[in-house]
Amino acid sequence: MSLIEINNLKYRYPGTTELALDDISLNIEKGQFIGIAGENGAGKSTLSQALLGLIPQFYKGAYGGSVVVDGLTAKTAPVAELCSKAGLVFQNPFNQLSGAKDTVYDEVGFGLQNLGIEPSEIHSRVEDVLKRFGIWEFRDRNPFDLSGGQLQRVAIASVLAMNPDILILDEPTSQLDPAGSEEVFHTVDELAETGITIIMIEQKMEKLAEYCDKIMLMHHGKLIDFDTPEKIFSREDLMEYGVVPPVYTEFARKNDLRLPDGNYPVTIKKLLDLIKTGNFDCKKLMTSLGKITGPEFCDLEEGTGEKQNLIEGAVSEAAVSPESSDRTFIVEDLHFSYIEGREIFKGINLSLDRRPTVIIGQNGAGKTTLVRILKGLLKPDSGRLSFEDQDIASKTVAELAGKVGYVFQNPDDQIFKYNVLDEVMFGPLNIGMTREEAETRAHEALKTVGLDEVSRKNPYDLELSDRKMVAIASVLAMDTDVIILDEPTIAQDYKGREKIREIIRDLSSRGKLVIAILHDMDFVSKSFERVIAMAHGEILADGTPDEIFRNHQVLEKAALTPPHLVALMEELDMGK
Amino acid sequence: MKSISLYADNGSWLVKLHPFSKMFYLVAAILIPLIAGRIFMFAITVFASICMLGSARMLKKALPLIAFSFTIILTVFIIQGIFYKDNDSLLLSLGPVSFYREGLLYSSHIGLNILNMLLSFSILVLSTSPSELVEELEKKGFSPKLGYIINSVFQIVPEMMGTMHTISDAQRSRGMETEGRLMTRIKAFLPLISPVVMSALTSTRERAIALEVRGFGSKMQKTYLYSHPYSTADQIMKWVSILCLFLVITLRVTGIL
Ligand SMILES: Nc1ncnc2c1ncn2[C@@H]1O[C@H](COP(=O)(O)OP(=O)(O)OP(=O)(O)O)[C@@H](O)[C@H]1O
Ligand SMILES: [Mg+2]
Repeated sequence: MSLIEINNLKYRYPGTTELALDDISLNIEKGQFIGIAGENGAGKSTLSQALLGLIPQFYKGAYGGSVVVDGLTAKTAPVAELCSKAGLVFQNPFNQLSGAKDTVYDEVGFGLQNLGIEPSEIHSRVEDVLKRFGIWEFRDRNPFDLSGGQLQRVAIASVLAMNPDILILDEPTSQLDPAGSEEVFHTVDELAETGITIIMIEQKMEKLAEYCDKIMLMHHGKLIDFDTPEKIFSREDLMEYGVVPPVYTEFARKNDLRLPDGNYPVTIKKLLDLIKTGNFDCKKLMTSLGKITGPEFCDLEEGTGEKQNLIEGAVSEAAVSPESSDRTFIVEDLHFSYIEGREIFKGINLSLDRRPTVIIGQNGAGKTTLVRILKGLLKPDSGRLSFEDQDIASKTVAELAGKVGYVFQNPDDQIFKYNVLDEVMFGPLNIGMTREEAETRAHEALKTVGLDEVSRKNPYDLELSDRKMVAIASVLAMDTDVIILDEPTIAQDYKGREKIREIIRDLSSRGKLVIAILHDMDFVSKSFERVIAMAHGEILADGTPDEIFRNHQVLEKAALTPPHLVALMEELDMGK
Repeated sequence: MKSISLYADNGSWLVKLHPFSKMFYLVAAILIPLIAGRIFMFAITVFASICMLGSARMLKKALPLIAFSFTIILTVFIIQGIFYKDNDSLLLSLGPVSFYREGLLYSSHIGLNILNMLLSFSILVLSTSPSELVEELEKKGFSPKLGYIINSVFQIVPEMMGTMHTISDAQRSRGMETEGRLMTRIKAFLPLISPVVMSALTSTRERAIALEVRGFGSKMQKTYLYSHPYSTADQIMKWVSILCLFLVITLRVTGIL
């Protein structure tokens, strides 16, 4: 008997006509590390909830088939009993909090108390997970006062500390800095070694490929395939399911680098091994790589002439408008603290122009805080702050709203209307558009993010990824000069990320300033001209993606890793 | 996030006392003067409470409470001084109004009672974290479900205030004026109500699921992270309170007092 047995599982949410889970059957063995891949809406989160019996016991609807977890039938067994076997880390860390504990330490201990674990054991486990995930120093803080990434760490820690036999994680690293997300995978992998079964939903295919034993490929509620990462990512029809293979696999496919069994390698290690043993022409491979990465990273000696052309091409392509060098935000000697006596910023200086700019850096570095100050939502303790030569302090946030748009990190913090269209029209109406104008704008914005057909729905009924898109649309509709996007790619699948890239490109080609905060370095290297790396409330470096990603000292300090292709290129370079 | 509980850990001896010893004191301090029925007894307990608050550096925080109670006491004083039903012996006359001894005595009774209760309650409230009190009660068999509710009440108000803040940020960042003149701020308050309530409602279901996942429904006997053994100070506080209470009762029953 397998640890988890799913037979012909079907499920439909109340009030819908389509099956969210459509005839799923599979067995999962103890100690396996299983990944779940698939586009938004494929049914991944629904499946995770069905494993714990939350479906159909908390969420009603039509249910068929069976799920048996370690001998317990999910449909009828008490949820509490199922939950003592399997732990679930939610997609949105805010929803994981118990709401009864006012420190991080007690919050993480809460679940262990309920399980009746000895206090001394609780203390040692809590200390262990908090240290492991780098949040030990925040143990006395209220969980609600943490940065998004710090909170996500608390959520993971709170479930991990309970030592469940089965650990289900729903996009647990979406808001983590690259080093943090590596730490999570590494930790979970160690658990799998000790016989704990891991089921992880993730959009980071490179990570799934590296760590999983098997991957479930889901699409429209159906289980398309359940196989090893090599087999799954070598599928020719993968894109049809809204999943892109790891960049290494794509690179291998372009250059026809196959493993002996005919599949493509899925990790950088396998790829490099293959290249080494196969005696492939590194130079040729480098050139091919340069074509994928674009001009920024192509620094082959013989390619200099070509590189020059490419850069010029890129610049003219961006169609920079004449006033593009205009200064927009100027920040001088900025000081800020949430709690008196504990300064987050100790004198920041920054001057922004109209180049698309991205802020990257470790969780809690102060990225969100910085953009909220630019937006006027937080007032600095001291320092000067101007936008287009006007002092920001002298204006209210609402007065600036027509010029500076800001999409919040957590969409649930931003959305407050009961209807998508009203939500998107709220901004345009406030900045003086007529109803018709606002409605046209709103529909346009919703079309841009691909949600026009749900404009009559309640945003709370949409998935997290769609709510994030609604939040983006509601700012796009205002047509502001500056658009600030705080982690726009949270919960987005490949298509969603492409859509956001498209939006950023379009906005900057129209002369608007885009400022984004991101943890996805591949996205950063493709879409931005200027990168600002932050750590511990300081700006560590400010330059082109090329400059930043080759500066290993800065990367390490800011808990970052270079984009996958840059890493590959550096490895190849050394191999040469 | 601001907490609605008045408790703050200032490291004083009162904070370090076990919640139950403070509860023993609370009960004794309220009952003793009532049972004794003498006004000077109030003076003793009030004095004791003030000394305790003072030595724990909490008197300043208790002041607003005392000031508040004084306004009530003053009103009672005036009304009863003039209108008390058994008023007989005239004390003083200010033009047309006259104050009587019986009324003033009666009202000082009420007033001191209020003051006494407030002071002894503030000893408990100012120096005890609500979650610690609940935890200690749970250890003595109080239902964890009820305990959770009490704890979350202390979290819910600040949480709602937090939600209000976030929604207001969402609204002003998209052009709704919420700052400036009083009228603007009042106008901005109304559109906040419905989303705040709505968000509280939706989060209730998510909370229920979160609790389930965190093992709250488990049949296991819950354990507690912190233990708070009785110190000598606790023993003294507890037994002195109990003994005094018994002493007063005996004195009263035997008719000595
Ligand atoms: N409301 C608050 N009260 C107190 N401290 C806060 C509050 N919000 C954030 N902080 C602290 O300020 C620091 C910077 O937080 P900020 O949200 O700007 O980080 P961030 O760079 O956006 O991180 P992330 O990548 O996790 O979103 C963190 O240490 C955080 O704990
Ligand atoms: Mg942030």
